Amino acid sequence: MRKARNIAFQTLAALCAAASFGVLALILAAILFRGLPAVSWRFLTEQIRLVGADGGIFFNLVGTLILMVTALLVSSPLAIGIALTHSIYLQSAILRRRILLLLYLLNGVPSLLFGIFGFILFVKYLGWGKSWLSGGILLGMMILPTVTIALVERIASLPRAYTEAAAGLGLTAAQTIWSVILPQSLGGLVTGSLLGLARAAGETAPIMFTATIFAGAHLPDGIKESPVLSLPYHIFILAQDSFDPSVGAKVWGTAVVLLALVCGLSLIALPLRLRIHEEARNG
Amino acid sequence: MASWAFTLLAGAFLASLVAVFVWQGLPAWRQAGFGYITGKQWFYRQQIFGTLSMIYGTVAVSLVALVCAVPIGIGAALCTAEFLPPKPRLFVKVTVELLAGIPSVVYGLLGILFLRDWVYQALTPFDPLSGDTLLTAGLLVGVMILPTILSLADDALRGVPALQRQAARGLGLNRSEVVWSVVLPQAAPGIVAAVLLALGRSLGEMIAVFLVVGRQDNQWPESLASLRPLISAGQTLSSKLGGSETNIAYGDSLHWAAMVNLGLLLLAMVTVVTLLAFRLLKSDRHA
Repeated sequence: MRKARNIAFQTLAALCAAASFGVLALILAAILFRGLPAVSWRFLTEQIRLVGADGGIFFNLVGTLILMVTALLVSSPLAIGIALTHSIYLQSAILRRRILLLLYLLNGVPSLLFGIFGFILFVKYLGWGKSWLSGGILLGMMILPTVTIALVERIASLPRAYTEAAAGLGLTAAQTIWSVILPQSLGGLVTGSLLGLARAAGETAPIMFTATIFAGAHLPDGIKESPVLSLPYHIFILAQDSFDPSVGAKVWGTAVVLLALVCGLSLIALPLRLRIHEEARNG
Repeated sequence: MASWAFTLLAGAFLASLVAVFVWQGLPAWRQAGFGYITGKQWFYRQQIFGTLSMIYGTVAVSLVALVCAVPIGIGAALCTAEFLPPKPRLFVKVTVELLAGIPSVVYGLLGILFLRDWVYQALTPFDPLSGDTLLTAGLLVGVMILPTILSLADDALRGVPALQRQAARGLGLNRSEVVWSVVLPQAAPGIVAAVLLALGRSLGEMIAVFLVVGRQDNQWPESLASLRPLISAGQTLSSKLGGSETNIAYGDSLHWAAMVNLGLLLLAMVTVVTLLAFRLLKSDRHA
């Protein structure tokens, strides 16, 4: 009886794992099967024509990259500042937990609300109109918790001996941070940023009201009224009239490019992450 | 000093986000009062703003998603964390985490081109109007949160020290009994937190839901226990706020306030869920 129950339970768990894995593999296969034929050099280097039914996605790709770089520039300094405050300057456990709570709450805010907030603040109140800068700032704030927590975990896993050796050499707190802690925890910042950017690249909701349009934008030449095209918004719009077969092929092609971008970033982050996790487990 | 300034800046950002939603939404509370939450009708031309039907839509979609994803996700996490040898475990975990990063707009695309038709065909005996239903949205969100639940529940299970498993095995318990009597009780808070974080995501999910939910206003069910409304089109707080009505509303302060308040309701729901999850997570994890 015990034995039967043991086997039944393990089988059930294995079935669940197989089901999850199967569904996700099927999704990946469906996207690649539909989209890969549409991806070509021309598709990546031409601009959009015939409302998405012809041409390529060059400026969508460029726009998404602009948004990602801006998000990176916004989130990195903030993440370093918050992580240092949390891990080095603050001695009180209660205040540390407050900062963590702030990050969790920020992480919980639905991405659509970033978009509406940005619409009110940047588009209307500051009068920027649709601008790449507001999209970049919003995406940067959105991924801030991911980046910061990766950095905090990395700093926490640094061997004590490092800071003790720095103190023994007579380094001041600022010198210790600059020459020991920051260089040693750079991996955490890189990992967190890659994961965050992977998320930022695919988000539609924060930028649809604030930064991106469907057609007619090239490179931004200022801040006000300078929207960009983007990959996710392109898919979002085309998905709504994807019954035209020529549009259908293009939208799947765009999905493959976006997916490659997102999964590529996560894959680069992977070895670093595994190492940090193992260190955390053994340490 | 800069570090403190940046921390304050992040805090100020969150605070001003909340403040802007509260402030811009005030006119709607003044006009409708609690009727804003308890009213079932939304006709903006008549300035009738009741959100109960949308709250129902949001809750229904999230519940369907949880019902689909929680048992399978936790079962799969048990398999990866407790029963699989290290190498396959790593492979499954890495693949699943990669898939957790698939953008919601890609899920929406899959929903619009596959799931919608499948749901319509499967429901033919019940004579649905189309494949755009609350059920479709719920299933889609369920698939989206599956990797989140799997990954976070796996983390929670792996957090239980191996020594305790070995001790229980030494007492003669078999692998399943170890899981039931030693691992699960200790990992329970972490698993519940995983489910709550996934719930938070599904409440706020807009893009994927928007594309398959049908966006039909005022779909208040006659009976809350009835499943019929699930297989008809509906509207959620987020699909409403993400729709074109947001662009129309700007300029009419009352209508705009009513729209912004949808965001405030969403924020309130998600914040409660996040706070619960945060309390459950071990306090010393990052300290």
